[in-house]
Amino acid sequence: MAVSRRRFLALGAGSAAGGFGPAGCGSQRSLGDPDEITLWTWDRSVSDELVARAETKGIPGAQGFKLSRTNIGGHFNTKVRTALAGKSLVPDIIGINSDVATYFPNQDMFVDLNAFGAAELKSRYLDWKWSECITPEGRMIAFPMDTGPTGLFYRADLLQEAGITTDPKELAARAPDWDGFIALGKELRRSQERAVICPNIRHVWSIRLGQLGSKFMTEDGRYIGDRDELREAFELAYRIGREGLSAGAPEGSPDLYGVITSGRQPVGIGAVWWGLAFPESAAPKTGGKWRVADPPGGSGNVGGSFLAITKYSKNPEAAYKFITWLQSPENQVKAFTEMSLFPSSPHSFTRPEMRESRPFYGGQRTIEVFGPSARQVRTVNKSPYDRVMDPVFAAELANVESGKNVDTAWRDAQNTIERELIREGAI
Amino acid sequence: MGLADALRGKTVERRGRTAKPPPDGSRPLPGWRRYWPMYTAVSPFFLLFAVFGVFPVGFSIYLSFMSWDGIGETRPIGWENYAYLVTDSDFWQSIGNTLVIWILSTVPMVFLALVIAYALHTTVRFKAFYRVAYFVPNVTSIVAMTLVLGSVFSDSSGLLNSALRAISAGEVGWLSDPWAMKVSVAAITIWRWVGYNAIICLAGLQAISSDVFEAAKVDGADNRQTFFRITIPMLRPVILFVAVTSTIGGLQLFTEPQVLFPVDDNGNVGGPGGEATTIVLYLYQQAFVFNRFGYGAAVGWALFLLIAVFSVINWRLIGGRDEDAIGTGKRKGKSRAR
Repeated sequence: MAVSRRRFLALGAGSAAGGFGPAGCGSQRSLGDPDEITLWTWDRSVSDELVARAETKGIPGAQGFKLSRTNIGGHFNTKVRTALAGKSLVPDIIGINSDVATYFPNQDMFVDLNAFGAAELKSRYLDWKWSECITPEGRMIAFPMDTGPTGLFYRADLLQEAGITTDPKELAARAPDWDGFIALGKELRRSQERAVICPNIRHVWSIRLGQLGSKFMTEDGRYIGDRDELREAFELAYRIGREGLSAGAPEGSPDLYGVITSGRQPVGIGAVWWGLAFPESAAPKTGGKWRVADPPGGSGNVGGSFLAITKYSKNPEAAYKFITWLQSPENQVKAFTEMSLFPSSPHSFTRPEMRESRPFYGGQRTIEVFGPSARQVRTVNKSPYDRVMDPVFAAELANVESGKNVDTAWRDAQNTIERELIREGAI
Repeated sequence: MGLADALRGKTVERRGRTAKPPPDGSRPLPGWRRYWPMYTAVSPFFLLFAVFGVFPVGFSIYLSFMSWDGIGETRPIGWENYAYLVTDSDFWQSIGNTLVIWILSTVPMVFLALVIAYALHTTVRFKAFYRVAYFVPNVTSIVAMTLVLGSVFSDSSGLLNSALRAISAGEVGWLSDPWAMKVSVAAITIWRWVGYNAIICLAGLQAISSDVFEAAKVDGADNRQTFFRITIPMLRPVILFVAVTSTIGGLQLFTEPQVLFPVDDNGNVGGPGGEATTIVLYLYQQAFVFNRFGYGAAVGWALFLLIAVFSVINWRLIGGRDEDAIGTGKRKGKSRAR
């Protein structure tokens, strides 16, 4: 049958109305079919295999529910915020990056996991990670996923050339603190004139900050970002730059990879994922030459992520069942072997899969460094205003690296922060 | 049929109703019932424009008087966003950066475009090839090209610095030195738009009567004299058009600095010291990185004001001389009266 033009237009209008109907009416608050628990993540944030299992065979422990995962890609926060602001077709579960405290002012957007007895599982996870999930009002709005304990990565072959020990234990004993690390950097110059120990001085600051017992705000909302401990960290970063031990590579630039590939930076303190993101992907030819040791200055954490259930969830209990299953100690081991996501449950550290020797690191069992490092991370109060203050310090250190006076930079940072905090209504 | 025609039809119809009834004696349909097919036909544009044009513009005015983190409740704060804006040194820095990058890119670009257009105009062989070749940068993906050029400009591992080192000219911090950073962004902008503007100038050149050029040749003018004494003066309206569009584009510069200096983990944009933060990049950072949607909206309106000022300046420049006016003298008189 030939479709007349009139009929074609009518069909088109009908299907357009049909398509707009369910999406536009706004009555459906939760995304997906009634038996679907929907999950929004970014790439490489959860085990694809486990998620696929929950998608096809259903969620273990939640009869009749299936999972439906979408990797929503770039600008993750913006997309999540848009969905939450729209109050319609909101996913049941969202991934949250290490900036979980940013969501604290909007804690009522999320389900309090204590309602499902989350407290019973507390002993399974690292204390500091668990406490990051809890708002100052005591609501648990997120659940631990992976973590980023730090270690000292180093090229054994280049250290040998400079006549430095390549044994992880001996090296850690030689550079137990930052002064030791600076001395190590100077020794590296014996075989390589332009050797550096960090990509830029902001990196020093962020690593040092992660080693301290508190950040910028106390639990009762007092600003403590001007204390001596932080001033010293700021000046430590400056000192490393002045010694010529920083490559001065701008954040996000290809030079960050260049210094690793060329071997100009033979040592570096980084989170467990740093090894994957830099040497393993940018310098695959250096495989077998890298090692890890305990980081100078103590262990810290960089990165890591969480899962949260939105208040629009069609069945928060099923969503909770899924999260606790996906992040059980056994399944975190699976996520580690499959995606290199480092567990937040110390129970998994003793599993044989975690203890396997890693060929890229010359057969070293890297868990022997990162396991204890993860346990030693200190519990730190994170504030929703950290996101306002972090960039200020980083920007001023970038200025210092391009020649600004360090005292002026510190004073300017404090002034900017005071202004920003007043503007946010924080002080 | 446009909306105006439909409206005109309505008045004609209304007049018809009172003056003389239709011959068959039936009562005519009221306007909207008679003309709904026309309204329906033109509605898709207006519906989309209302949803994606009018509403966001209106909502951003509302937002600019609010404090909103993108999820929670909006809180009215009056003129606070604007008051902060005036004293915000980062905002003023972004305006300064934008203007510097705009000058660094527009001035050489307009000149280059003219030279290229003149060269294209006088080429004898492979005309079409050269025209396409110069236009190609404008249709390539700007993000992909900026990524590639990013590794050309890269400080210690970049091609450009390797070349400079090879001729012992020393290194330039293309991605870290305040001025070199702006030059890098301007260079990418020039690369992308010079061909496009050259084609526009070429069209202008071809509209110039060949008599003038021949007369110049007869009088013994050389190439340089012809270029500066004939081509440029005759092309004045085209050059102004190029300058106006470059101004509007330059003030809205975003992709190049955003890709060349990616948002870092802390949320800083525009490279070291924010020296390559343009106004739109600053707006993006405030709204979408720091979740200050109210403040972002205020920055947007400040940018609107700035573009309006520049447009008025441009309009005065164009309207300033009779021979450059695009419309007729009558139209010009009208706009003067306004």
